[in-house]
Amino acid sequence: MKKIITGFCILAATSSFAQDQNNFVKENYTKIDTTITMRDGIKLYTVIYIPKDETQLYPFLMERTPYSAGPYGKDNYPRGIGPNSELMKEKYIFVNQDVRGRYMSEGVNLEVTPYIADKKTKKEVDESSDTFDTIDWLLKNIKNNNGRVGLAGISYPGFYATACLPGAHPAIKAVSPQAPVTDEFIGDDANHNGAFFLLDNFSFMNFFDLERNGPVKNYAKPVFTSGTKDVYQFYLKMATVKNTNSEKYYNHKSVIWNEYLQHDTYDAYWKARNIRPHLKNINIPVLVVGGWFDAEDLFGALHTYEAIEKQSPNNNNRLVMGPWTHGAWASGEWTKFATHEFGSNTSKYFQDSLETKFFNYYLKDKGNFTASEATIFETGSNQWKNYDVWPPKNSSPVEYYFNNENKLSTKKENNKIGFDEYLSDPNKPVPYTNGIFGRRNNEYMAEDQRFAAIRPDVVIFESEVLTDDIVLAGRINADLFVSTTGTDADFIVKLIDVLPDTASNPKGSPRGFSMAGLQRLVRAEVMRGKFRNDPAKPEAFVSGKISEVKFDLNDVAHEFKKGHKIMVQVQSSWFPLIDRNPQKFMRIPEATEKDFEKATIKIYHDAVNASKIVLPVLK
Amino acid sequence: MKKYFALGCFLVFIITGLTAQNTDSIWVRENYYKIERMLPMRDGSKLFTAFYIPKDSSEKHPILLNRTPYSCSPYGENEFSGRVYGTYWINYLKEGYIIAVQDVRGKFMSEGDFVDVRPFNPNKKGKEFDEASDTYDAIEWMINNIPGNNKRVGCFGISYPGFYATMAALSNHPALKAVSPQAPVTDWFQGDDFHHNGALFIMDGFGFYTGFGKPRPKPVKEFAAGYQIPSQDNYDFYLKTGALKNFAKIMGDSIAFWKDLYDHPNYDDWWKARNARNFVTNVKPAMLVVGGLFDAEDCFGAWNLYKAIEEKNKNTDNRLVMGPWFHGGWGGRADGTFMGNVRFGKKTSEYYQKNIEIPFFNFYLKLKGTVRDIAEANIFFTGENEWRRLNEWPAKNVEYKSIFLTADGKLSFENKNVKTNSFSEYISDPAHPVPYTEDVHLGRTREYMTDDQRFASRRTDVLTFSTDVLTEDITLGGPLVADLVTSISTTDADFVVKLIDVFPDEFKYDEATFGKGNGLNYPMGGYQMLVRGEIMRGKFRNSFEKPEAFTPNKITEVKYALPDVAHTFKKGHKLMIQIQSSWFPLADRNPQKFIDIYKADDSDFQKATIKIYHDAVNASKIVLPVLKN
Repeated sequence: MKKIITGFCILAATSSFAQDQNNFVKENYTKIDTTITMRDGIKLYTVIYIPKDETQLYPFLMERTPYSAGPYGKDNYPRGIGPNSELMKEKYIFVNQDVRGRYMSEGVNLEVTPYIADKKTKKEVDESSDTFDTIDWLLKNIKNNNGRVGLAGISYPGFYATACLPGAHPAIKAVSPQAPVTDEFIGDDANHNGAFFLLDNFSFMNFFDLERNGPVKNYAKPVFTSGTKDVYQFYLKMATVKNTNSEKYYNHKSVIWNEYLQHDTYDAYWKARNIRPHLKNINIPVLVVGGWFDAEDLFGALHTYEAIEKQSPNNNNRLVMGPWTHGAWASGEWTKFATHEFGSNTSKYFQDSLETKFFNYYLKDKGNFTASEATIFETGSNQWKNYDVWPPKNSSPVEYYFNNENKLSTKKENNKIGFDEYLSDPNKPVPYTNGIFGRRNNEYMAEDQRFAAIRPDVVIFESEVLTDDIVLAGRINADLFVSTTGTDADFIVKLIDVLPDTASNPKGSPRGFSMAGLQRLVRAEVMRGKFRNDPAKPEAFVSGKISEVKFDLNDVAHEFKKGHKIMVQVQSSWFPLIDRNPQKFMRIPEATEKDFEKATIKIYHDAVNASKIVLPVLK
Repeated sequence: MKKYFALGCFLVFIITGLTAQNTDSIWVRENYYKIERMLPMRDGSKLFTAFYIPKDSSEKHPILLNRTPYSCSPYGENEFSGRVYGTYWINYLKEGYIIAVQDVRGKFMSEGDFVDVRPFNPNKKGKEFDEASDTYDAIEWMINNIPGNNKRVGCFGISYPGFYATMAALSNHPALKAVSPQAPVTDWFQGDDFHHNGALFIMDGFGFYTGFGKPRPKPVKEFAAGYQIPSQDNYDFYLKTGALKNFAKIMGDSIAFWKDLYDHPNYDDWWKARNARNFVTNVKPAMLVVGGLFDAEDCFGAWNLYKAIEEKNKNTDNRLVMGPWFHGGWGGRADGTFMGNVRFGKKTSEYYQKNIEIPFFNFYLKLKGTVRDIAEANIFFTGENEWRRLNEWPAKNVEYKSIFLTADGKLSFENKNVKTNSFSEYISDPAHPVPYTEDVHLGRTREYMTDDQRFASRRTDVLTFSTDVLTEDITLGGPLVADLVTSISTTDADFVVKLIDVFPDEFKYDEATFGKGNGLNYPMGGYQMLVRGEIMRGKFRNSFEKPEAFTPNKITEVKYALPDVAHTFKKGHKLMIQIQSSWFPLADRNPQKFIDIYKADDSDFQKATIKIYHDAVNASKIVLPVLKN
């Protein structure tokens, strides 16, 4: 979630900059706190770090953020500045800006500010124009600049980096949107395919969307305190999304929260907040960065790259995908995660060999930047792969059919009758993680799924033991034929790498941990059933009638090794990561407790209704 | 299971402070000597016995006997067992006891044939023998051949050795003055180890018997190796192995007892002969029955052996100790300050050793001190975390109060249900049995007895009923009775009822009082502590001898007792009941078809819809032993 990045950035900065002297910034940079006036008269608070060495000219490297450009005050220096410590040592004019309506900047903040394509008056402003006006001021007012500007940012700041691209100021020469918030209804943060990400957003907005009367250095206290140590219990007890606005919680005080609840389809509100259609005719080198284990904006990274690729085919557009959680590429060390051990420091590699070189080359004409179009970390084999396009050209879709007796196979069985069924009970939703947690378990995206496999409301399809390595590279598609006794239902499809029974535990493994037979989650996604045909036009299921539910899962780069098995799990809840579906066709934010109904769900795999998962197999 | 006990004996030495141990080890070698003898039994068989004898001859010494199927090792008169210096047994050595450890007939270095829970023969003639007569013959030899003994003998043992202690008490040897069966194997069909109410405890039984059950054609010093389960995941292994038939294939046909199990699916005469409770008449020695409230193996045996002795022997000096322990936890394997994630704030094991067991044997074997301070029933009540000293068990002030299941998932002391045909239901699928604990693991945990049950509440095949937040403490002391009114869509099903203490959402242990417990710092807010769980194999609901099919969808009562509890539900907590139809792989899966389960095929296993009624007439309830203050 966007919030976590605030905390994370601090952490990341701490580790990435840890080896540097605490006074490096102060000794080498002069800090200026200033406001910059936008075309509509609104002033944005901007903190500028200028290298003390005046013997050369420097480019600007800017981050625009809703999470505070602080520390504020010309004498307050942070430990580190910029995306990584190498860049800090390289010397740039670093610019941090509070975006419109946040912290020390004037104006009104809009959720993922819609882009205005053809602005007619000075009153029409957006993030592109704010960036434009800021750069205009910087070029004129900050001496020793070389006339070039770069932007970078992770998560929400990733969005602000992307947002500068359409209608870009001509001085912008390099942009790196990292885990950029991109489409909050289809795949980032707030919703995935229309299913509301309750857990992350409920706690995030409590700290983010707070009232302010004019610029502030610190926001007021959160709207409410929850302090729960068991989020599953907490949200189950809260029962409905509607209750998030009870007196105890948001009490209708959060503007964005109200917007989220109001806009429960892919309507004009959300469409205006999808920046992808505007990423056309881009002519600025872009380095899109994302993490395979990013629980917040994995979709954003992949689809920002894709949108630029499709709509600006000649642009110098690159993608880096590493084995990272949200923002982990900015940390000092990232050699392992959950049960993965990557065998190298992947974040250091990114910072030194990709990020620093990218900005140095395009902003300073220094060195070379020869990175491939796509620099992709392949999990399973744990190595970096280089491709000239993503997905790779030699990746092609292979259909894996759900078969009888829980088998998964490239062969379709063509049985007359075939289905698996389960009872989906909203009062006993399938947990998204194993164990008791007071917040989101960040490891859930690589977690052992055996806790789910043993539930009666999760169905499994598993391949034979693989006799050869199989590498997947690209997007996954789930194509289900389902029926429900209700009129709506969620479908969660999980792709899992099953380790052999002979896999041994790494040293120091805790109790309850076993690599042998581990069902390691590779990729998962939800589809809120009513949006199966159109996210803008929800459609009820006809009770008992077979319907096709087809949707994409985010890309993977993963090697299933010989001796492993490929498993797919299907379930109809993923709690409390996503809110519960009442399993009744209705506006879910309006649902009351009595609307939640049990449903019997069938997943068909007969000759006609052959449910399958389509995997991007690399030749 | 007993296997863990055997392993546990070795673990002890890690737990106990090494420095103290070295000191004690040196002290023992300086003050004791060891001899090994073959003791002749009436039929001519000889039993291997190790004696640790004080060098001091200034006074006569009593003998403490432990008879075991797990070996009296280490063998060799120069090899001292860690148990004598590395556990609380050192206290007995400091008191000058002679310690005798005997391999039972047919095990390790003893002659003869081993028979599991060998039936007691009340009418032995001539050379006929049983475990009681073997004990008799051993005592007879010891008091006449061991130098410096005071002709007063005590016998004690934990688990299987607890069974041998019970049998010792039936030997009627006049020199046997005091016996302490601890977690005694007592009834392997109804509640200990192998079966609980007829449901096979497959994981413990199978894992243990692949090694323990192996034939021993001649005396050996080493444990037989068991089957190495080719998995790290018991749930997966037992599920994939499937029907009991398939386990028999792995077991092979050399393990006699495994075949006996399959031949005796019901509580027939064969089992009755192996139920120690049927024979505990005319018990002469003073008895101290000891058990753990959270003993996964023989919790039943401790409670019910005590009760059987009480019932059949009005004048026997018979006492009961139950503490918050896992199997053998009182015997120096843990200090008893915590069990799993639940903490007690007191070193309950040490309390027991110093204030109960040692004074008990000292009084009867050394005529030293008093047993005045050992109550008839010495019971640790978890929740309030206090020892209660009671004059009888269950306590006099117990009142059996029914708590009713309600349609809205609540529990109520009054049956307020008015509707008819009100029930909660679930689908019990043998392909997805409810796990007995969370997390992937291989060996059965002992902590499951107090585990957080939130993982189970979140399943569609587990029903949950709970009181409101309690406004005052409720203390339970005595047996629980589950009285379910049910109907099932098939012809058989298991019922597992769990009594749970739901901690307040803000609950945290105060480390100053409770220490660090197991050190895992598990989130205790909203913890659903298993206080007691028990299974009933439905077909045995009316009789263990004569299983009865269910008529599909016909309302049927399933009423059974759970092992006793001693627990206070504190004000601010909630009392919860969970009901489910599997407990895997603790108990084998019920095919949910009325059939001899030992003969069932994989294809016999089927889903069943289980209904638990809570209406005005068909009012499922739990009868709680509430102590009046």
